[in-house]
Amino acid sequence: MTTTTALPFSVATILRGNPSNRPVRDDTTAALLHDHLVAAVRRTTVGLPVVVRAATLRGPLPTLQSSTIGRFRGLLVTTALRLLVNGIHLDDLFVDPLEAWRSTCSDGALLQQLEDLDADQSARLAAEVRAHVNVLRTHVGPVPSAWRPRTGVRSTLLLDGGALQLRDDVDLQIGTQRSDVASIALLDVTTAPLSPASEQLLRYHALVHTLKTNVVPLRTALFSTATGELWTRDVDRTLLEAAVADLTDHVTSLAVAA
Amino acid sequence: MSTLHITDTSVASLAPLLAPSLPGVSLDNDQVTGFAAQLKAIATTSTRRIDAWSVERGGLPSQPFAWSASTARRLLGTAAAQAALSGTTVLSAVQDQIADHLIRATRGETRFGSLGHWLGLLSHAELGMVSAEAVNWATQLLDVADLLGPSVTLCRTDAYFNVSGAQTTLRGRRDFRVGGDDARVVVRVRSGAPTNVAGAGLRTDLFIETLSHPARQAPQRFIGLWPDAGITLSVEGTVENLRKGARDVVRVAGAQRLHMVAKAA
Repeated sequence: MTTTTALPFSVATILRGNPSNRPVRDDTTAALLHDHLVAAVRRTTVGLPVVVRAATLRGPLPTLQSSTIGRFRGLLVTTALRLLVNGIHLDDLFVDPLEAWRSTCSDGALLQQLEDLDADQSARLAAEVRAHVNVLRTHVGPVPSAWRPRTGVRSTLLLDGGALQLRDDVDLQIGTQRSDVASIALLDVTTAPLSPASEQLLRYHALVHTLKTNVVPLRTALFSTATGELWTRDVDRTLLEAAVADLTDHVTSLAVAA
Repeated sequence: MSTLHITDTSVASLAPLLAPSLPGVSLDNDQVTGFAAQLKAIATTSTRRIDAWSVERGGLPSQPFAWSASTARRLLGTAAAQAALSGTTVLSAVQDQIADHLIRATRGETRFGSLGHWLGLLSHAELGMVSAEAVNWATQLLDVADLLGPSVTLCRTDAYFNVSGAQTTLRGRRDFRVGGDDARVVVRVRSGAPTNVAGAGLRTDLFIETLSHPARQAPQRFIGLWPDAGITLSVEGTVENLRKGARDVVRVAGAQRLHMVAKAA
């Protein structure tokens, strides 16, 4: 794993890396992983279907992260990323992401929660979002359109006839599937500090992408706007097998709990 | 045969679905007239619009249409993908599309409720989200085009068929066409994951695609591609699938009629 904290660095540049040293595109591993995963899940006695999200793999979250303000902070920071990657200048690091997020949110209950924040909570949210987006803006760097960036990429995998559902959201994906070498890089942005559980998250993103597209991505990364720390992992079969083991353990733990 | 074929979205899995085979069947005038007669028999007081989505919902009324970043993305993104195929970057193609709509709105060339009119009401941050969604859609189309190979054509329009005298417009969504006109394969790209009624939606799209063809010729296959789920479903252009598609359209018209009567009562 590579951890980057030194200043200055560009997340986009690190994600892309050196195009001349990329491994050959791997489109054979996905089928093996799929079979291993399905076989492992079938061995458990958990009630089906099992739905796995990136958040469920992290386990219980600290109170701060699961608070209303923490949730909105995360949503607004990822919205800011979408705007920055699409070349939108942010006049105000809080107001612009807020306006943009509101315009796309269809969850009335969530919008109401935002309206229900008192003046003190709103001020705290604004201050936190401005600080986190500032870190994001400093480090993301320009993402040329030629890299085919996509933001807010969702996945909904139905494995074994829907018995196992893997859901995931990746904040930024760059690269193309059809290159002769591995070229897809995945980035997740978190407003929490990175922790050992973040390793699982990195692996999960890589596994879901591989199963979805049948092509192993080049690398997977996690950027913390709390610390300005970037973790990147080049994706290989070992990493993907570890991700399958994580998932199997998770499903087994569900079975034991049941 | 009305088998629904399920596979992944890899090039290897898609290739057999795109390979030339026997041309699809055609609908004759009697079949089209018979279908139109069934729709005419289901009275309506206003124009009826039926598509795969309404079939998948069993004719249940949907929320009234409203522009949003999600509803605008296909229109803007498809046009941008078309431009990007000629060498422009996706982002600048999307920005050009948005600018064109805004200019037309500023000149007063758009009507109230049009995309241009709606875009003109947005702040720059909101326009940024519209742009982000359209870039995602356009990029996804380009990725799918890569999967489908060199003989793919991006469809500029959906398939429409107006049923004479029945106040009914049928809309079949389509994103790509592969192969020649007489043995074409039509591909539709969809978000999310397919549900258990996705097959009915595909057969509806197949039927409307066939009706809109000048010679009423069915494509040899209609493919639904769900990149978010890595799943491909396809139906062949057989008489049985066309019949099922037609039956579902008539069934939806009947369900819409019942909802209309219930609402009025």
